[in-house]
Amino acid sequence: MGWSLPVIESMQKLNKPYVVVSYPDFEGYAKENNIPFVSYQFNEWSDSSNSLDLKEKLDAFGADVAVPLFEETVEWAGALNSLYRDDPRVLNRAFLFRNKAMMKRKALIGGLRVGLFEEVYNKEGVKNFMKRLNQANLQVDGEEDSWVHIKPFASAGTVGHRLLRSQADVDSKCQDEDFPCLAESHLPGKEFSCEAFIHGGKIRFMNITEYVKLGYSNFIPEGNHLHSKRDRILKEMQKLVDLFGIQYGMIHPEWFLTENDELSFGEVACRIPGGHILELCGQAYGFDALGAFVLCHDPDLSEDELQQILPPLDARPETFYGNVMIYPHKNQISKLIIPEELKEESYFLDHNLVPPLSSQKISDREGFGNHFGTVNFKGSDPDRMTELLLHYENVDFYH
Amino acid sequence: MQEGVISESNLASFEELFENYVAATPLTKREKAQKIMGQLDTWCGKLEGIREVYDKVPDLTEAGIFKDSPWEHPGKLIPQLVNGTYKSGHPNSTIELLSELRMLAILEGNIAGSAAQKEEADSYLQEVLVYNLEFVFNEPQEETRLVMSEHELNKVHALFQFILEKIELSKVKSKLVEELTLICEQRPVVTEKQRRIIALVKEKIELNPEHPADMELLAFQRAIYKPSPSTDGKDHVSYGKLLQTMSIASLEKEAKAMGDSMLQFGLVSTYQATLLLHLVNKEYHELIPVCLGLNPTGVARFNEFKDFVCYLIVQVIHPFNAQCIFGLAKMLENGIISREAVRSGLYNLCKITIHPEVTNRILKSTRTPHEKVSPKQYLIGALLRILGQPLGVGQGNNPTCQSARGISMWSQHAPAKLIHMVQTAAVHNDLSFRFEGQEISYSTTVAGLVQNLDHHLDAVSVTLVPMLDRVYNEMMRRATGRGEDPHKWANPGLYGQWIQIGFASAYDYLSNAIVDFDGFIRVFYAMCHPQFNGGHRLVYPNPVGIFITSAKGEMLGFHAVSLLRVEEDPSGNVRAYFLNPNNEGRQDWGQEIKPSVYGNGEIHGESSLPLYQFAARVYAFHYNNLEASSNMDKIPQAEVEKVKKIAKDSWGKSYTWLEIKKQW
Repeated sequence: MGWSLPVIESMQKLNKPYVVVSYPDFEGYAKENNIPFVSYQFNEWSDSSNSLDLKEKLDAFGADVAVPLFEETVEWAGALNSLYRDDPRVLNRAFLFRNKAMMKRKALIGGLRVGLFEEVYNKEGVKNFMKRLNQANLQVDGEEDSWVHIKPFASAGTVGHRLLRSQADVDSKCQDEDFPCLAESHLPGKEFSCEAFIHGGKIRFMNITEYVKLGYSNFIPEGNHLHSKRDRILKEMQKLVDLFGIQYGMIHPEWFLTENDELSFGEVACRIPGGHILELCGQAYGFDALGAFVLCHDPDLSEDELQQILPPLDARPETFYGNVMIYPHKNQISKLIIPEELKEESYFLDHNLVPPLSSQKISDREGFGNHFGTVNFKGSDPDRMTELLLHYENVDFYH
Repeated sequence: MQEGVISESNLASFEELFENYVAATPLTKREKAQKIMGQLDTWCGKLEGIREVYDKVPDLTEAGIFKDSPWEHPGKLIPQLVNGTYKSGHPNSTIELLSELRMLAILEGNIAGSAAQKEEADSYLQEVLVYNLEFVFNEPQEETRLVMSEHELNKVHALFQFILEKIELSKVKSKLVEELTLICEQRPVVTEKQRRIIALVKEKIELNPEHPADMELLAFQRAIYKPSPSTDGKDHVSYGKLLQTMSIASLEKEAKAMGDSMLQFGLVSTYQATLLLHLVNKEYHELIPVCLGLNPTGVARFNEFKDFVCYLIVQVIHPFNAQCIFGLAKMLENGIISREAVRSGLYNLCKITIHPEVTNRILKSTRTPHEKVSPKQYLIGALLRILGQPLGVGQGNNPTCQSARGISMWSQHAPAKLIHMVQTAAVHNDLSFRFEGQEISYSTTVAGLVQNLDHHLDAVSVTLVPMLDRVYNEMMRRATGRGEDPHKWANPGLYGQWIQIGFASAYDYLSNAIVDFDGFIRVFYAMCHPQFNGGHRLVYPNPVGIFITSAKGEMLGFHAVSLLRVEEDPSGNVRAYFLNPNNEGRQDWGQEIKPSVYGNGEIHGESSLPLYQFAARVYAFHYNNLEASSNMDKIPQAEVEKVKKIAKDSWGKSYTWLEIKKQW
């Protein structure tokens, strides 16, 4: 569910029957390239546009598993899988992924460490939340406010995510259309994500993605320090899987690891992660990560097939793959200039940057969404990789 | 990692990307190809990198890298489009580069092709090469410099170096003749480019004197390698020995041949310097004007200042500093040698000690300095060339049109001032100007437009330009914030009192718009059009700001030229004749506006355009504020509308236009 050429390519190569459900815009291309396709308006829900109707259309293709590729298709896939598996809770679980407040409550009940959080409805609500947080942190007069994050309940990744460092920030950074949303305390520590491929309720393969800077850069597999925590992380992950009752598919939670080795849960998604994570993961571990993502959703997948497509649970690749997303640093750009140092960089793998259209004005960033392209690196030393990614985040490619 | 070699890991990265590409289905092939391009692009800045890429081209082609792209069929590609594609940058420029390498691979048999396809590939590459001589010699045009990054320039330069090593140029003779004519007709001060093309032809093409097409190229060859029959098969040393044995009559024949040869294209050979020095040493004074190819005025001046000119020749000229002979000859003809101040200035210059920093710059600009020629000789030689050929001054690959314009203006109207400036700058590596009652000196100002001076210049320019650039920049800085274009004050500040007080700008600083363009054009016509300015000629060069536009007429940037004269051309159209310091003969400003450099009444070094076309690119100029406004009403509205339409349809799209009237 959702349009992705690399996923379609994987399905073709794996020789698995599939049908793509996506917006009518893609129908022409699909027809031209013999891609089985059902056109559907995901953003419309009515008497004539609903999961029962969609299921009927898909029955013609013999579909029995729905796989959500993007955030917007998570409920649709949940609804279809509820029907296929005759289990209404599958849909409820999909809602769990789509409502960050509900997700946190579930995690809290299950004993995962989370920040303080609350649903807020207006700026006043955020200010009060910050006040209570300040009290709890025993703020003394003159001390800085505690940091608060606000996030929309149902947006992917970093879209609409704002960090508020003070009461004044609430006034200047929050917009009326942000509300209602989730407010939560700032979680300290190193951020990373996990991609757990689950079948039959068990984690069959787990990747750890080390975030060098959220929204800018990450690499796979995890560096040496994070790797030393892998067993603990795996345990926490299985706890999350059990708690959420996930049987099939892949989850992509974000975690924070403090210096005292405490793990806090950030949030979790069940679609293809952003930041080209599965691409890096596939390169590093040498497998078809997108194909595996899709196949894990299939309850009928055999043990043999599963082992064939997934790397062993304890695999540790020797080559690290990382990327940095490139954003223009100026408001007006006219040239793409690949820095000399990149040309001499032996870790450099590739980039897909293109020059701007004559003279281009840059609109404000929404989330971390509009990067101009990605530069990929590969190499054997994770520390060097970290350095490189941090460095290139601040290099101007657009002038 | 070894300098200049693609590292093992980058080669391995290519293999990985290539495998992914080959394994991809048509759905993601394009995306994977883009990644390969990203890696290859980084290799292409150096010749070694191009070589590596060339080795991969057969595999890349086989794998379908050109499939479903405009480059798919080698037989359908058009050489004229290549230049524009390179200017559009990566990834297009990288695919274009691969496409050229594929042609070469076809030609060399690394990719299978029929005899006819090989033939086609050969013709194609030869044509591409000739259309891209700016890349071959790394001397980009104004437009190219504005749109291409340094890496992109390095990339295409490396590519064309590589191709040049492998192909011949026998199929593009007439194009090479045209190219050489376009350059030589301008009589540039720096003659490196035409010498390089001539050397290239010598190396690459077997010329047949019987064949009419070859005769023209042979004429260029002769100017440098065989200016007289007696030089055949000799270098300048053995020619010098031969001269010792010659009779006066033979020497006269030699002198006549040398003079004629020099006048044909403005190019001087090592032999001519040898001969001239011989004539001076032997005191054959009556043969010197012949050897210099002088007209009667020049001969008269030579006779008047014989001793001084001979002194200069001995001081400055050497077989490896020969080109200044042409400048010296023109200087005698244009008469500035008659000025006492000029002679004194040149005499003083022969006595100076040059600052080590300036010496470095001069030697760098000379590329292959000869041990027998001193930096001072190079400097004075360059000065003679500038004084003799003021319209041949170029800016090279630098954004310093303003400085070049100044040097050209001074050499015509204040030669002694220019010489003195050169002397001060050369000795002290510093220069001061008066600006609105205050002093501005090079040594105390911050950087100007030039970050890294390209030393592809004459020795006078490398001495002065870094200073002029900074001083001008400082004047601009001080004049900024007055609500008007600071050029109004900086131009007279730098160039001097020749610049008119009135200053017209199409762009209005306060409203950030083009205001009263009608009035602007009327003032322009009233300033220079003989039909509307009372039949007057222009007296001093007028520093004019113009919009540079692409071949599609799109706004690219700003440029400084000097308007020299406005007159009827041989076919009766009123033309603007101007100095464009970027010395480019093949310009295309879009909308059919193509400045010509010869054939339309131009003096060597001038560019020209029909006046209305020139007017349609002007955004600022100086005028006599007491005079022009009374003539404004004489200009027909239809003419104004014609200019305005061209302007609005090109650079005008980048601005807001306000029709309100302004007081001029």
